[in-house]
Formats: sequence, C-alpha cells, structure tokens
Amino acid sequence: MDETVLGEKKYRGEFIKPGRHYLEGSEACVEGALLAGMKVYAGYPITPASEIMEHASRRLPQFGGRFIQMEDEISAACTLIGASWAGAKAMTATSSPGFSLMQEAISFSIMTETPLVIVDVQRPGPGQGYITTSQEDVMQARYGHHGEGPIIALAPSSVQDMFELTIEAFNLSEKWRTPVLIMAEETVAHMREQLIVPELDTIEIIGRKKPQGLGITPENYLPYGHELVPPMANFGEGYNINHVSLAHHADGNVGNYSLKAHRENIERLHQKIEGSVNEIARVESQFLGDCDHVLICYGSVARTGLEAVKEVRELHGIKMGFIRLVTLWPFPEEILRNLISTVKTVFVPEMNLGMMKHPIAEALRDKCDQVISIPEIGALHNPEKLVDKVLEVSTC
Amino acid sequence: MLKHPMLEYIKEEGSSGMRLPHILCPGCGAGQVLNYTLHAVDDLIKEEGVKKENFVFISGVGCSSRLTSHYLDFDSGWTIHGRSLAIATGALLANPELKIIVFTGDGDAAAIGGNHFIHAFRRNINVTVLCVNNGLYGMTGGQVAPTTLPFVNTPTTPYGNIEDAFDLCKLAEVAGASYISRWITAQPMQIIKAVKKGIANKGASFIEVLSQCPVHEHETPVDSMNALKEITVPVKKAESSDKIPVGELHFAPRPSWTERYESVIEKANQRLS
Amino acid sequence: MKKDNRFEIRIAGFGGQGVVTIGKVLGSAFTIYEGLNSVNTRSYGPESRGGACRSEVVVSQGEIHYPSVRKADVLVALSQTALDKYMKDLKEDGILLVDPNSVKDVPKGFVYFKVPAMEIAHSVGNVKFQNSVVLGALAAILESMIKKESLKLAVSENVPPNTIEKNIEAFEAGWARIVTAKLAVAE
Repeated sequence: MDETVLGEKKYRGEFIKPGRHYLEGSEACVEGALLAGMKVYAGYPITPASEIMEHASRRLPQFGGRFIQMEDEISAACTLIGASWAGAKAMTATSSPGFSLMQEAISFSIMTETPLVIVDVQRPGPGQGYITTSQEDVMQARYGHHGEGPIIALAPSSVQDMFELTIEAFNLSEKWRTPVLIMAEETVAHMREQLIVPELDTIEIIGRKKPQGLGITPENYLPYGHELVPPMANFGEGYNINHVSLAHHADGNVGNYSLKAHRENIERLHQKIEGSVNEIARVESQFLGDCDHVLICYGSVARTGLEAVKEVRELHGIKMGFIRLVTLWPFPEEILRNLISTVKTVFVPEMNLGMMKHPIAEALRDKCDQVISIPEIGALHNPEKLVDKVLEVSTC
Repeated sequence: MLKHPMLEYIKEEGSSGMRLPHILCPGCGAGQVLNYTLHAVDDLIKEEGVKKENFVFISGVGCSSRLTSHYLDFDSGWTIHGRSLAIATGALLANPELKIIVFTGDGDAAAIGGNHFIHAFRRNINVTVLCVNNGLYGMTGGQVAPTTLPFVNTPTTPYGNIEDAFDLCKLAEVAGASYISRWITAQPMQIIKAVKKGIANKGASFIEVLSQCPVHEHETPVDSMNALKEITVPVKKAESSDKIPVGELHFAPRPSWTERYESVIEKANQRLS
Repeated sequence: MKKDNRFEIRIAGFGGQGVVTIGKVLGSAFTIYEGLNSVNTRSYGPESRGGACRSEVVVSQGEIHYPSVRKADVLVALSQTALDKYMKDLKEDGILLVDPNSVKDVPKGFVYFKVPAMEIAHSVGNVKFQNSVVLGALAAILESMIKKESLKLAVSENVPPNTIEKNIEAFEAGWARIVTAKLAVAE
C-alpha cells in the first residue's frame, strides 16, 4: 500500500478478508475503497446513497482515516479536492440531485488534474424524481460539468463490481491524475450478493506519480508539465505547487495568456484521457462469434441483458451477441468497432429514454442496419421486455 | 533598485515567462493584506522556526482571491468561488499539521461562501481566514454585496441599496470562530500581529480587514483609507460610539475539529480490541 | 426442490414488519452457509413505517443474471395488499406462506402455509421478532434446500447481540408451527 500523510500510528482496522462474503453493493464499494487506500471521505446524506457514507463513517477511523459529513454536496466534493491536494485518496457518494451540485467541483478537478472518486448512485429525475433506480445521469457524467473536459466514468453491474471497480476507480484517478466517476444505480447499491475477495497481495494499488520519484527538484517542478500525466506534488512537501483553474502554462502561470497556450492546455487534457481511451476503457462481451444482432448495455441492465440474450439464443434460436460497457467514458468507440464486424440490429436497453444509444449508434453507424433503444424509466428492465422487443424486431 | 522584502515569497517568473505584475489596481487594499500576511509568515519562519513547507494558501474567486493566484512561492490553491473553506477542510483532514491561510473577500465569504463560512467556524477547523472586505464585488464591476451599506448606489442597485449589511465578525462569532479581529488596511503592525495570532490559534481564526476600493468608490486611495478611519473606532471605545469597532473582538480557544476527531479514531480502534 | 436452477423467493408486506431483514438473512444463509449464489433486492416507499415493502431472494448454484423474481417459487405475504399484488407472479405449484391475521383472502383451492408471525412474536416478547418467526417457518418449509442451522446462524448474525436469544426463540416457534400444522385449504 502507498504512503499516507497520517503518520506512523498503529490502527486496528482490518481490510476485508480474502474469501467469500455476502454484502450490499454500498458496503462492497467502501471495502474496495479502503483497500485502495482511501483515507478521507466527505459526504452528505441522500437517498439511496447514504449507506455508503454511513459505512465509511464507521470504517475509516479504524484505519486512522478521517470522515466528515459536510453541509452540502458542493462542499463534500470540494473537501475531496483539498484532501487530494494534501496527498490523501478521497471519495464521496451521492445521488442524482447531489451529482448536479457537484458539477462545478468536477470541472475544477478536471482542470487542476486532481485525483478523486465520486460515486453517483443514480435515481430518476428530473427534480426529486423518485428514490428508485435509473441510469439518467450517464450523459451528465460526461457533459454535466462546464467546459470541454474529459472524464472517466465506470458502470458497475454487481456487488463484485462495486468492490472491484471502486479499486479500479482509485487506480485510474491516481494514474491519470483525474476525477473518476462510478455511475452506480440504486439497484446495484442496495443489492446483496456474494463477493469473492482475492488474496490481498494480488490486488494492484496505484499511487500518483511524484516529482520526487522522477528526480525533479522543487526549483524545476512544473505542476502541469514534464509528462502527458504530470507528476503531482502534495501540499507540505516543499514543492510550492500552485493549483489554478484558469487556462495555464505547464508551470502553473496564468499570465502571458495566448490562445496557443490555452489550446495546448486543453488539448493535453483531452489527449491525456480521450487519447488514452484504448488503455483506459474496458468492455466485456460474449457470443460475438457469429451473431446476427448484438445487445449493448451497462450497469445493472447488463444483468437483465445477459439473461435475455441467453434466453433468445437458447429458446428462440436467435444469434444474439452480448456486450457490456464497463467504462462509459471515455467512450470506447474503437474497442466497440473492433468487436463487431456487421450485424443487423444493435439493441441498447437503458434505464433512461436513450442516452448511450447515441455514441453507440455513431460508433457502429456503418456496422449495422439499425440501432434500437429499449428505454425503461424508474425500474430495472425485466427479461420479458428485452426478449419481446428482440422477437418483435427480428421477425419482421 | 530596492527590492520589496516580501518578493522573497513571490515567483516573479517561470518557464513560461513573467508572472508579475499582479492585476491589482493602484491603491488596492488587497495587496496590503498580502504584504502584511507575508510579513507575519516570514516572522514565523525566521523567528519561530515554523517550516515554510507547512504553509498553504487557499483562495476562491475575486480580487482578494487573486492574492494566491499563481505567484506565491508556497503550496497554494486558487479555487472555486466561495468554497475555499471546504477545500481547506479537506486538506486538514488529510494533513492536520498544515498551516492553512485563506484569502477571501466579502462576497466570496459571505454570499456564495456563506454556508461554508458558518460551518467551518462551527467546526472550528484550524484555519486563518483573511477577509478583505471592500463592501462590493470588485472583480466584476462593483456590484452590491452582503456587506454593502444601505442606500449605496452600485451597478446593480442603481436606485440605492435597500438591504442591510452583514456584520461579518458577529456572524463569525455566532457561527463559532475561536479568534476574531477586525482592522482597516491602514493598520499594518496590528494585522501582522493578528495573522500570527490567528496561525498560532489551533482553531478557526477570522480576520476581517476593511479595505478601500478606489476604482469602484471613485475616490483616491488616500481619501478612501481616511474614510475607513472615520467610520471605525478602537474596540475599547466602541460602546460609546456608533462606529464600527476594530481590534481583537473575540478570543475563546477550543479544540479544533481534527483534534476532536482524534477521539473518534481512538473510539473506533478501542471497539475493535 | 432443485438447487441448480434458479429458485425465487419473494417476501412482501409493510415497512416495519422485517420484510427486508427476512430477505437479507435468507440470502446470507444461502450464500455463506450453503455455498450457493444468491441475490437479494428490496424495494419500498419513502416512509419509514407503513409503506409497501418487498424483498426478493434469487438463489442458484450457477451464476445469477437477472437479480429479481420473474415467477416466484415462494411468496411470503405479510399483508393482504401484498398477497393481492403478488399472487399472480407465484408459480402454480409455488409455495405460499401468509400471516393469517393480516391475510384473510387467499385464492380458492390454493394450498398454503400459515404462520401468525405477529401473534407469536408478541408472545415471545415483542412484535419486532416477527421476522424471525417467519424465518423459522421458512426453515421448515424449505428444509430440503437449506439446513435449519444455517438459517439460525444467519439470524443470530443479523440481529442486535442482546436480542439473539429472543430471536432464536421466535425462530423456533415459527419452525414448530409449520412442522405441527396441517396444510390449510381455502374454502
């Protein structure tokens, strides 16, 4: 595990043991975060994400970490920024209305290249909407923050995912010096199922690259320079790092403004994430060998999706392939295109009125005859809904 | 040519060229506050052996928030309008040993930042807040602020301000700040001393500095500073006067948030044994 | 009952009856003590007490994809509303368990089990123990699928430590009621 700034005291907190467990998604998320090295959690109560915060409040101090319930979601997100700057891995969890409040902080984190993890346990909107499940924030994840700033967003489908993807989220945030979103839903946060924890020393934990590690002295340090992913000094290390979110030069200077320097700043941010999509993004697939159609889904809908795909294959003889987007953003366009040669119909079931359908349709525009959205608001699709749609479309 | 002694703590230039000059207007009070703060920090580093790398400067948005900007030779963060105290809270949760100084203005602290203002003080987080109060939104053109006096004309109160002004120090006291003082920009030695006291106080220290804004007040800096002298009175004589009291207004130290969280860590670990 | 196929259990009633706990304990018993895969989901209204509440457990030896009930093998209905709403999703040869004090109207000719959970819990000491009564009843009904000991262990791990004894007592009472009762037939 990487160093913490919290000193040498001995704490009695123990990581979740290797083996078989039975946990709620919310708990699995926190256990993954602790293993990843989370030391600060700042949150605000909101249904259906409060369980993550409550679990963190109990566990964090066992490891000498610090938990705080802030006065609103805005300050919760901002607390993560300060914690990260001072060297701690930090996380919060919220739901859709709180996610809206955090967008300015997310934009700021992108521009200042601040590692942090935000879990959005999505619920329907707009407004208060309801307290059940949804995938209505998946576009907001990419475009909700102002400005052209790329981001990484993951979509967990199970309790195992809530554990593994949380660790992955921390690793990605540290490796790419960026905020990372976990786009969960009420379904997967409240679901209880088996969790298999591997031997702890087989779990890779990544910490941010430091200038000290690259032999860069404070005098020569460029907070936004040196490499595509700039090494990051923490507060208190004598590197005199200036975090700024006006368009800046590599040394953190916001003076000597030029369009050229401004554009270089933004282009590097994009190159860092969007340009690295094939390294960052993950997609899972089954039955693509000789499929006529393919079903593409993410999050809990992948549970229904796989059930439906197996049913249409086994009971109706339809050659349906299955793709699950583990990473929503950066959008894995090339990875998707490489998985599919040509199909007749692409089905995209989502717990919204059709959002990821758009980048999917664009990515596969020349690889399929049509893209059909299967929307559902407020609840997880049942397999009948998907099977009926597939039968309807494939028999005409 | 003589060099300003506090330039020791300023990055004048970097690999991308000059970082100075700063953008502050001639006669601005914010620059004075930066000068006094750096003097205080300089004293602490040179005379009391406080490590330079432990100082962190955080600011939000506005003229006074420009004091961190990109030229302080310290760890710093020039952050989101009104949210410096939340960000400072996070830094302290990760490293309670940091000596955090927050530069803010009256709008940044008490309008958009109002919620974080009261909670940071309620929690008594270990931070020293320098609030440069010029009674308006300077950066954006002089609009009315929660600290603008009644009847004043501004670009958004062209018929006169109908609202009453916050007393920021009273607000800070009721919220729970443990050290509170108010000064005007023409009190360099007092402010330097106050900043040192604020940093030494292991809790929330709020230092309000009433400042001139010559550009938006349409006055000369000297006239403006004299006006500040005229509307204020030393706190010892405040009772028999209508004027705004300046000086040390409140000092009631109590354990900071991170000190108290130690008991949470202890309890959490005891229950595991 | 086959363990290798999906087996679906739905519990429904009002908030405050322990519907969620029943699902949680069942899932825990299947997953930890029987080594099966299980998924437990729940849904409820925003009210802390009194709103409609539903908990589901899907069990399988293999991987479970769709996490909710499609056609229940077991329905536990602790309120009339719950029965009325979910009867149609119960398999024709499915198992129905009701609290007869809350559920009076059962479809004609349907064979089902009865356990007056609230009444028994009250006699043990507190109506809060009704979920353990139901779990005891389920332990008897699902004897071929899950060991009584597994459920008892799961109960003791999911209740406040100072109430374990009483909860086990309630569990045993629910168990006993099923074992000794005859199946009821609706008139």
